Amino acid sequence: MTTLQLDRVTKKFKADVVLDEVSFEAKAGETVVIFGPSGSGKTVLLRVIAGVHEPEEGKVLLQGHDMTDVAPEHRDVGMAFQNFALFPHFSARENIASPLTALGKSESQIEEQVHSIAQLLKIEHVLEHLPRALSNGQKQRTALARALVAAPKTVLLDDPLRNVDAKLRFEMRLELPRLLRRFGSTVLYVTQDYREAMALADRIAVLLGGEIAQFDTPESIYLRPDSIEVAKLFGEPAINILRGKVNEQANRVSVNQNQFIMPKGFHNKAGKFCEIGIRPESIKLFREKRVGAISYEVITITPLNERSVVLLRSQEGLELLATYPAEEQTAKIGDAFWGMVVPEDLLLFEIETGQRCLSERN
Amino acid sequence: MTEVQLSLNSVDKTYYGKKIETAVRAVKNLSLQIKKGEIVALLGSSGCGKTSTLRMIAGFEDVTGGTIQLSNRDIHDLPPAKRNVAMAFEGYSLYPPLTVRDNIAFALKAERISRSESDSKVIEMAKFLEIEEILDRYPSSISAGQQQRASLARALVRKADLYLLDEPMGQLEPQLRSVLRVRLKQYLQVHQMTTVLVTHDQTEANALADRIAVMEDGELQQFETPTQLKHKPANIYVGTFIGEPPMNTFAAEVKPTGKGFQFRLEETGEILDYQAVDFQQSLHDQLIKHKRIVLGLRPHAVKLGKGALMAQVISNQWLGDQSHIAAEFANKIIVAVSHQRESFKLDEKVPFQLEASDLHFFNAENGNAIAHGLEI
Repeated sequence: MTTLQLDRVTKKFKADVVLDEVSFEAKAGETVVIFGPSGSGKTVLLRVIAGVHEPEEGKVLLQGHDMTDVAPEHRDVGMAFQNFALFPHFSARENIASPLTALGKSESQIEEQVHSIAQLLKIEHVLEHLPRALSNGQKQRTALARALVAAPKTVLLDDPLRNVDAKLRFEMRLELPRLLRRFGSTVLYVTQDYREAMALADRIAVLLGGEIAQFDTPESIYLRPDSIEVAKLFGEPAINILRGKVNEQANRVSVNQNQFIMPKGFHNKAGKFCEIGIRPESIKLFREKRVGAISYEVITITPLNERSVVLLRSQEGLELLATYPAEEQTAKIGDAFWGMVVPEDLLLFEIETGQRCLSERN
Repeated sequence: MTEVQLSLNSVDKTYYGKKIETAVRAVKNLSLQIKKGEIVALLGSSGCGKTSTLRMIAGFEDVTGGTIQLSNRDIHDLPPAKRNVAMAFEGYSLYPPLTVRDNIAFALKAERISRSESDSKVIEMAKFLEIEEILDRYPSSISAGQQQRASLARALVRKADLYLLDEPMGQLEPQLRSVLRVRLKQYLQVHQMTTVLVTHDQTEANALADRIAVMEDGELQQFETPTQLKHKPANIYVGTFIGEPPMNTFAAEVKPTGKGFQFRLEETGEILDYQAVDFQQSLHDQLIKHKRIVLGLRPHAVKLGKGALMAQVISNQWLGDQSHIAAEFANKIIVAVSHQRESFKLDEKVPFQLEASDLHFFNAENGNAIAHGLEI
């Protein structure tokens, strides 16, 4: 059941079009992540849904009702912001209680609900503190508690982990999905971190320049990105993009003097140029020669937690970034490897538009 | 042998409040020798003393005790401007009345170089940090991420004995940070710039630094290369701080058997059995001395799907190139890493085993490392 719908929402600030005919929907209990780089319009989008900004065009529907004339406080929406925005003169307890107080709940009800959520978020021991005496991690959990305590139908979380230490950020990323599921609210979560997006989302709305570039499950976005722009936003290091020429049989694509085996079903690309995308983890490295593999030399090696990033250069000058499980190899600078890409892992994009080419099977 | 460029000797920092009781000892007896051209990261959580340390090296804070030498001269009593130190600090903002270009160029004024040389250095640095198109804007009109890069440009463009960077990319979005990290490291290495940077992000420290000084509660925990920190952490704190997902830890009783050791996990009584042939003599001799230890296992050592142990899945997150699976076991959360997609569902009970190849042993009382690995 759809509980949130945006219908061609356009928002302008003077001459600046910040949101351009944005449309998407979210089902009850779903977590939709709004993902995009700085300035793409994510926060403005959230504020339009909250009712803080009025769109120039388009509609916001919550639970099937048009919210255009409904004030923020009547939309049954809970919000948490990246700078926490806690009331500085209220204790953590009073901050968390504030939505319930505003709803006119009884003291005992408030006491019980605040206690319950504080327990869940592990901030019971700091409930009496003022925000200035709380660590960033505690402030963030207090802000989250405040957003969730009244069990609103819609929860808007604007990059709540942004100002939190990396360690705690990782912990919260593991715990948040389970926590949010407990409440059953429809959640809109804004982030610039693709891992956070993939970890938390049922679906991701990729916002680029005020427009939705792709709205899909994390799996579809990662494996079948609609464009080079979207492909580059997911994955670290970013996807390798190379200009290649497909041969007449459409079974090989050449990048200068190196060749890759083409995936099947692209006869319409025979003899044509295209951009090929190879994700670093798709390059499988072997010490011995394999059919279709290219010989590379290791130029640099950088650790990236459970994987290692290696810059490879072929004898013909092709440079690619590849990654492999950190515990698997003991590669050194100057080592030689044979690199293979499974044909189905090769992505093809149109040169003019950057759009992904679909095979004849799709 | 490379000479020492920066030396901190038993440096102490205490912040005094209005009352004696509110004095906070933020940095405790810190000694570090940093080589010429080395990139060192001060790494730790908020409040560990890393920023206080950087500010003392810069001269924005007095040292309460100890000394600091740079290029063999005492600098701890010198004002910041006399230390020949370039810095990019939060709060050390750009000059509002100057454009970004002029802010960066200002750093070059002290150097006797021609106008055209100065101009080209500014442009080169702006290209490097991708802020070319905002060179003629004023600080108030650019984003936080752009301000941060402009500030970094201003610090790096100078010739100085030392470069101090406080969370240099904290305001930047992940994709940009990833790209600039690589460029920054290459730049610092090529130009042999001795650098100390502060960060709370161990991924960043691992990517940029030649050596990392891990700090906690004002004290230095360990000062080593990223590889050493990962494979031979000095204590549980370092062991669980370095690496994402973090190391899994289990309190266990040590039972020597005739043929090797049994580690009995305290929470649930599960037994991990290892033969003598798995242990080097020195490791064996160390372990014999302890009745209780803490076992550390990195995420890739947790193999889900089969085994004698049982855990309940609380999250299964696929991140494109790897999966992080968190599960409840023995009243704690353990995290496993797999380099492919996994189909484990929420609340599913999953059998698992702990691989022996990479065990870390810590003293259960003080958290210090006893030994690492099953060196054969």
